[in-house]
Amino acid sequence: MFIDGIEKLNQWQNECRKALDANKKKVLVCLGPGCLASGSDQILDEFKKVLKDKKLGGITLDSIKKTGCHGFCARGPLVVIEPEGIFYSKVKKNDVAEIVEKTLEKGELVERLLYRDGKDDKPIAEYKDIPFYKNQMKISLRNVGQIDPDKITDYVANGGYAALAKALTGSKPAEVIDAVSKSGIRGRGGGGFPTGRKWASCASIESDDRYVICNGDEGDPGAFMDRCIMEGDPHSVLEGMIICAYAIGSKEGYIYVREEYPLAVINLQKAIEAAREHGFLGKNILGSGFDFDIKVNRGGGAFVCGESSALMKSVAGEVGEPRAKYIRSVQKGLHDMPTVLNNVETFATIPVIMDKGADWFASIGTKKSTGTKAFSLAGKVKNTGLIEVPMGISLKEIIYEIGGGIQNDREFKAVQTGGPSGGCLPADKLDLPVDFDSLTEAGSMMGSGGMIVMDDRTCMVDVARYFLNFLVEESCGKCVPCREGLYQLHDLCTKVCEGKATEDDLALMEKLSKVIQTASLCGLGQSGPNPFLSTVMYFRDEYLAHIRDKKCPGGVCRELITFDINDKCTGCLACIAVCPVDAITGEKKKIHIIDQDLCTRCGSCYDICNYDAVEIK
Amino acid sequence: MKFRFKVVPSLCIGCRTCELACAFTHAQDKKPGRSRIYPIAYAQDKYVPVVCLQCDDAACAKSCMFDALKRNEETGAIELDKERCVKCMACVAACPFGCSLVDDVHDEVVKCDLCGGNPACVQFCPTKALVYEKI
Amino acid sequence: MVHITINGKVVKAREGEMLLSVIKRQGIDIPALCHHEAIEPTGNCRLCTVEITKEDWNGWKKHVTSCLYPVEEGLIVSTHSSEVMEIRKTLLDLQLARCPNSEYIQKLAEEYGITETSYKTRPDADNCIMCYACTRICEVLGKSAISAVNRGHDKVIGPPFGEEPPDCIGCLACAQICPTDVIEWSDDGEVRTIWNKKFDLIACKKCGKTIITREFADYLIEQRNLPPEYFDTCDDCKRTEVAQKMGGLVEAAKEVTL
Repeated sequence: MFIDGIEKLNQWQNECRKALDANKKKVLVCLGPGCLASGSDQILDEFKKVLKDKKLGGITLDSIKKTGCHGFCARGPLVVIEPEGIFYSKVKKNDVAEIVEKTLEKGELVERLLYRDGKDDKPIAEYKDIPFYKNQMKISLRNVGQIDPDKITDYVANGGYAALAKALTGSKPAEVIDAVSKSGIRGRGGGGFPTGRKWASCASIESDDRYVICNGDEGDPGAFMDRCIMEGDPHSVLEGMIICAYAIGSKEGYIYVREEYPLAVINLQKAIEAAREHGFLGKNILGSGFDFDIKVNRGGGAFVCGESSALMKSVAGEVGEPRAKYIRSVQKGLHDMPTVLNNVETFATIPVIMDKGADWFASIGTKKSTGTKAFSLAGKVKNTGLIEVPMGISLKEIIYEIGGGIQNDREFKAVQTGGPSGGCLPADKLDLPVDFDSLTEAGSMMGSGGMIVMDDRTCMVDVARYFLNFLVEESCGKCVPCREGLYQLHDLCTKVCEGKATEDDLALMEKLSKVIQTASLCGLGQSGPNPFLSTVMYFRDEYLAHIRDKKCPGGVCRELITFDINDKCTGCLACIAVCPVDAITGEKKKIHIIDQDLCTRCGSCYDICNYDAVEIK
Repeated sequence: MKFRFKVVPSLCIGCRTCELACAFTHAQDKKPGRSRIYPIAYAQDKYVPVVCLQCDDAACAKSCMFDALKRNEETGAIELDKERCVKCMACVAACPFGCSLVDDVHDEVVKCDLCGGNPACVQFCPTKALVYEKI
Repeated sequence: MVHITINGKVVKAREGEMLLSVIKRQGIDIPALCHHEAIEPTGNCRLCTVEITKEDWNGWKKHVTSCLYPVEEGLIVSTHSSEVMEIRKTLLDLQLARCPNSEYIQKLAEEYGITETSYKTRPDADNCIMCYACTRICEVLGKSAISAVNRGHDKVIGPPFGEEPPDCIGCLACAQICPTDVIEWSDDGEVRTIWNKKFDLIACKKCGKTIITREFADYLIEQRNLPPEYFDTCDDCKRTEVAQKMGGLVEAAKEVTL
């Protein structure tokens, strides 16, 4: 059905809603990255199989929906029963029959699959009551986990493309840019550049051709927000891009998806074809006379191609190396034409701004960082997963209220935000609000939304070394300060981890870091030393312990730790069996002993011991 | 072009003063440059000066893939931009008169640049076999 | 026409001109290893970095590579400030660690007070400083026979898949433009070898002297519409031929007047 105007869209929206309401109950099976990796697709198939054989009133095969990431990845595979919002966690294929029989047929709960709050072990039936979900506010993730990404009818029923229709038929392009500027939205990819200003700059350059590009390269280790949006709600990205294209006068758009996200490519491609079929892409969109189409470009497996100028080179078929940005991409971008490049989350947010208004959006979050932000909460926190919260929320609230605190109730040590370009913040910074500016002032940055929580069994020098190693591998290699500088910085950091560094080395690292920051050609190099600089600022004593005392306080750096068995040992022989170099001796029921000369510090004995008898010093 | 360089070969007596003047005018680091002008004998004691005639449709400029050879509209000379030249020898091979030359002493490619508007060879030629005139 | 201040002196510059050419015009010498007039600047070596500010920046400074920064009215430039010197020193220190055997780098580093590198030297180091001059000049030539291969610290310059570059015509532009003389080549009689590829050198039909390869000549003939016979003789023999022709005309003219 070709939607040629706003009336047709409203009509279709009503039809889609009616069709959805025909099924009173819905079974949402999360096929987000985490759940899918745990076999939730088999759970989906099982539901289809079981319900095919049974004939239940009000429940058909259409009631079973696969969705994108529902968010609570630590508890996956997830199954949600609507309209009640019953939340089943850690579901297995064998549980499906019981869910159908008890919950769908009889309306009863399967107790053992309910979420239990750690504090009082009380089961919570509906996900809106679970602390993880309660404090969130979903805008860019509004549909993710709620709709089937393959069905444009789901998207439309949920209000999709209404914002586009409103913009195309009711506003001039300059008015759209005005609204985006007024909303105060800043780029969600990490740069935080005011989106409205970017669009206005591009629109003001005289040119016959201009481009809209969506940056789906999401290279930060541990970040998966953009992945979930592309996989779980691809139409929201398209709608945002079409609105942008209208605002700046572009006819051609690209979505650059990193090579490692094949499902995102597939889902986006399906969405594009569906959008074309219904007239949301192509010629004369919604009968407005405006033409625009989108192509999906796959990356080649390079973090540096997330940098906007390298990305544009890659789209043009050249080697993905950044260029100096003294002349901005809005002026000369793809094929040297004016180009707007925005992040997936930014585009996914645009339709909501157009629909609900700039003032509404600006009322959320803080004055300088309006709206919400999606985060992928990962690391040593109990509730890992995908969340979206209003800007200005404190780190403490995210990690403890939503995240549930540290795993195994260990001590919080640091939280790493902003990926390799960001930094680590210690416990006394937990009250900081999360927004574009506060974390940057403290020496880190919010970045694109990766948030990795670390406990006391983390070595901050090792963390710096890990991120530096990542950057050395991913540096494009064009300019000297990044290619040679980060390489040497990583080498020196490794020396510290191995206990071979001197205090002169530390001073050299600090001096080198400053030059790398100032002299590098692109953002990768300019922010490259951040992992080192932020950890040496807040955890200098750890660096000094490695250097002066040849000790690793976090108990991680192999050359500087020893494993010892204390008197909690019950003589169970487990560690002796698992030691790869036969360094442990002992008899049954007698305390075992580790031969320090043979020990390689692999940690297998520590991992296998059930009695906390292995100590790391 | 405001000026033109001209050769009157019948007037050449083979004194080689032009060659000397050219080499010393283009001296660098106290060493004389390679002369761009060649008095050559075509028969016993009969000489003609062979030198770049700044062709209208210069093969040297055409052969340069790096835009190092360009006409100076004031002097009329085709000038070799030393900063752009990569010494690929295309012009040395292409010039039908053999007037793009390799200066081995200074390790560069050279050609007549009419001394920037005051050609030394013209100044020193005793028989006026070399002319630099306004057009 | 814009006015900018360089090291305290107000100078004129063309709108859109790159800062480096204005600086050079003042006779100020700053290193720019990857810069060459025949190729587009890329800002690889970062040594031409200068400090810039403007009156309305309230003391805030920026460090940019002058080879790529277009001039603006009111720009205030410092080419040798302490921060800039620190940057150049560290960059040369890093280059020395990368190419410890390069006399070119050693000399330049010494000018900035570095006689020994503070960092770990590259094992089995060649003298390639990754300036991309060779790949860029080959691009200008229109061949793009070689490229920068691999990413990051493993980056090297080379032909596709490390094999004989199919597009190379043996013009030697890459070898000649290389500031540290890294690219090896040899002329042996009538054969030129570069990038492990062999080329036929055109031998002058009169004396046998060689100047360029057959492939290069063919490329020039085709690209620039040059008569093929121009390349059959060497410059020495061409001059002699011209002398003969001119002499012939002189004698013929004498006969007429007689």
